[in-house]
Amino acid sequence: MRILMFIVFVSLVAAGPTGATVVDETAIDVQTREIAKTLRCTVCQTENLWESGAPLAHQMREVIRERLRQGQTPEEIRAYFLSRYGEYILMEPPKRGINWFIWIGPFLLLSLGGYLLYRELRRWVTPPPSEEGHPPPLDEASQKRIEQELRSRV
Amino acid sequence: MIIEIGHFAVIVALVLSVLGIVASVMGLRTRDGDWIRMGRIAITLIFGLLALGMASLVYAFLTRDFSVYYVATTSNSTLPLFYTIAAVWGGHEGSLLLWVFLLSAFSTLAVWLHWRTQPAIMPYLIGVECLIMLGFLCLIVFLSSPFERLIPAPPDGKDLNPLLQDPAMVMHPPMLYMGYVGFSIPFSFAMAALLSGRLGEEWIKVTQRWTVFAWLCLTTGILLGGYWAYYELGWGGYWGWDPVENASFMPWLVGTAFLHSVMVQEKRKMFKVWNLFLIILTFSLSLIGTFLVRSGILTSVHTFATDPGRGLYILLFVATVIGIAFGALMLRANQLKSPIVLDSMISREAIFLFNNLFFLVAAATVFLGTLYPLMIETWYGAKVTVGPPYYNAVFMPIALGLIFLMGVGPYIPWRKASMASLKKSFLVPGLAGIVTVLVLVILGIRSIYALTGAFVVGFSAAAIFLDFGKVSALYARREHLTYLKGFLKAFASNPRRYSGLVTHLGVLVLVIGIIASTIYQTEKVVSLRVGDEFYLDKYRVKLVDIHEVEGHNWVAKEGVFHVFLGNERIAELRPQKRVYTASQTPTTESAIYAINMGHIFLTMPEVSPDGVAVARGVINPLILWVWGGGGIMGLGVLLNIFRPRKHEEG
Amino acid sequence: MSRSTQVIITGILLALLVLFYQGLWGDPKHIPTVLIGTSAPEFQGPDVESGELISLSQFHGKVIVLNFWASWCQECKTEHENLLRLHARFRNHPDFVMLGVNYQDEPEAARTYLRLYGSSFRHVRDIKGTVAIDYGVYGVPETFVIDREGIIRYKWVGPLVGEIFTHFTQQVLLPLLNSRQSTPT
Repeated sequence: MRILMFIVFVSLVAAGPTGATVVDETAIDVQTREIAKTLRCTVCQTENLWESGAPLAHQMREVIRERLRQGQTPEEIRAYFLSRYGEYILMEPPKRGINWFIWIGPFLLLSLGGYLLYRELRRWVTPPPSEEGHPPPLDEASQKRIEQELRSRV
Repeated sequence: MIIEIGHFAVIVALVLSVLGIVASVMGLRTRDGDWIRMGRIAITLIFGLLALGMASLVYAFLTRDFSVYYVATTSNSTLPLFYTIAAVWGGHEGSLLLWVFLLSAFSTLAVWLHWRTQPAIMPYLIGVECLIMLGFLCLIVFLSSPFERLIPAPPDGKDLNPLLQDPAMVMHPPMLYMGYVGFSIPFSFAMAALLSGRLGEEWIKVTQRWTVFAWLCLTTGILLGGYWAYYELGWGGYWGWDPVENASFMPWLVGTAFLHSVMVQEKRKMFKVWNLFLIILTFSLSLIGTFLVRSGILTSVHTFATDPGRGLYILLFVATVIGIAFGALMLRANQLKSPIVLDSMISREAIFLFNNLFFLVAAATVFLGTLYPLMIETWYGAKVTVGPPYYNAVFMPIALGLIFLMGVGPYIPWRKASMASLKKSFLVPGLAGIVTVLVLVILGIRSIYALTGAFVVGFSAAAIFLDFGKVSALYARREHLTYLKGFLKAFASNPRRYSGLVTHLGVLVLVIGIIASTIYQTEKVVSLRVGDEFYLDKYRVKLVDIHEVEGHNWVAKEGVFHVFLGNERIAELRPQKRVYTASQTPTTESAIYAINMGHIFLTMPEVSPDGVAVARGVINPLILWVWGGGGIMGLGVLLNIFRPRKHEEG
Repeated sequence: MSRSTQVIITGILLALLVLFYQGLWGDPKHIPTVLIGTSAPEFQGPDVESGELISLSQFHGKVIVLNFWASWCQECKTEHENLLRLHARFRNHPDFVMLGVNYQDEPEAARTYLRLYGSSFRHVRDIKGTVAIDYGVYGVPETFVIDREGIIRYKWVGPLVGEIFTHFTQQVLLPLLNSRQSTPT
């Protein structure tokens, strides 16, 4: 990040091929965009600060720009917004505490599902010991009855 | 007067839906055909009455009857005709009416279509459909009526939200609802199978086209929504992982799983309970999606007071339907256990199960992401945001896994695959995947996402093309035909398989479009005056003029930009900053030039009074592949629906 | 279907039902602020009427009610009467200060608004929205209470009307005003 600050990226004002003024983004413009894309427009529906057309988002972008001009790093700026609005302002839940639930939940689900599926498949592939024509497995009621009968005989 | 007729018609429809339920129950108890015929009459009349209700609302809009509250809040006398009709479903009340109207149309069609061949199903079909309609009609009549009068009538209406004044947005809700509602038919058949205990493969075969059709509508609806966001919202993206978008994506994911899994039951008579579970889940997610969107439970922050009464009603109703469905499934499940015997771990059956697992985990991810803020808020009292970065990190890997399975699945035979045949089938695709990656690396692409995606896409595409090539050659050789004729012959020999592969090909094209346009998007925002120019990648963009233009119901500042490649002018783009006169709402209209299958996308978000404009230029490479891929997917599905009805149903 | 599968499905469905039910009653506007218990950010801005510079620090040692508002905001109008009433009730208290912050507004529109609805306390213009962002404001109206030590003690998003207004005066403001230098520094 520091390196970016050293790059002299002053607004290019040079003569283009047609003699017109060529305008370009400054390093601060680019950084503003990068930061704005990670923060939420608090009055919108899941839109980030960069994409939103809301006046508040506009002002927040200006705040980012101003703080970059003052030499703050993107981390400091994000930390500032975090201190004012809480985790709500981040476009993704920070990876800590209860939030791990949604960060790794899907992958755990996939692994668990994969494992259970594999186990079931193995069971289905190994044919039951009975010979030709597999009789349908018993339902729970009959299963219980058989067990009871067996027990009563012992 | 007309609107009162419509109102009355909807009330009568409500009464008839109760009658339909009674007729269905009595028909089942007495086995008397007259009751069931009565149910058919009821359901047909409901359709007619709701059509009348819709027509009366359309009439009120067209005649600009602002004494109708709904008309006054969603339209304005300056609104063009085309959007006036769209305004009918531009608000909460009207979109609910459209929902239930489409439901009545589909159920009527289903009843008449399957009357002769499926007499045993009819009472269940009528009963389930009438129950769903009753729920929605009560909501419309008692809690959100579009027929309320507003006395005294205002001189003019507020306006349809300018963002909704867009051709894609006209078609988006009906398509989406047709998708949701379309799944209600296989759902009803499944419920019939469950409740009657007649669980053959019948219901799946009969509803196969319904399922595919519903899937087509849902897919089209989702893509139209993306298309609209792309052109209208002006930030150059098409999918924002917004709760409303997610609400339509969840049933799509599970519906797609169902679409695949039913094939196992048709071919091998296995997974009966699983398929019932999937269709119930699909339709339940449609209902939950409707609840999430219509109750305003997720749209928080800028809406001050949402009425919890309405949401509570929808919740109770949705919970009832879902409770009955899952309850029936759980009570009956043990009676339906089908013996499952697999010949091999590596078989089409097994792959389908993994496909299902991935689809369900994908759906669960979207579900978690969508509901997590609500969970945290209600149970922890804190607020968090789950935005696109989360989905990019968690959903995308799962999606890539799915696409890989898509490439593998169709080439693993039913029952059992031998290692030798696998090697034969996957050698070329595997090499193709590696070559694709190498070519991209040489071209300078380093993103691990893009490269993984490229491998998967290269692999799957090669597998599909290899398949098409082989069978075409086979038929051409066997019947001495040209290659193209051989291809057509091959297609006709197994239209279901090959139309499916066409859809798969569409998915691949779509995925390439998504990867390219998200990872390799170039963006620049500059402030400039007339005469200034800026470089957007290799293109030079010059602001030539800013002037005022006036439309039918808006005024705008329009920027005229010339786009040069070298010294040659290749395009003139005119983005606008519009203000809609009736509501004084500003919008940003993008201007787009298509080049190399991608877009140069230009907006002008600000113009200051002293003539400084802010221009935002975006290059979206291969964005046309996103829409093109969607088109190919649709073509595949149409080929499936209109395939000849040979020895399948009988 | 095994018993455990049944239990899991039923459990998930019930959990969802509870979540949705509770979610319906949750106020979507209620946003817990991270600022409570932290020191109030300093700001400086021109008075809406006179243009004279006002800064927060000049009121240090007093209990400050800070109200963010705008002339285009409909909800602000519904609470305006209450704000005036609140000020009238406590204005003679030596430690009470009420300050409006005019947010995202045209100065002329703001003055017209104040002339129309009346005003008995001073309002600062937040020209670039920086004050609002410093206070983590989402949308107007929002009201903060700052204690004598300059610590933010309370925040309400939305209009101060009905029960909330009573709660605000009786449970939040009065105790703070009455606890005369309860924590000697």
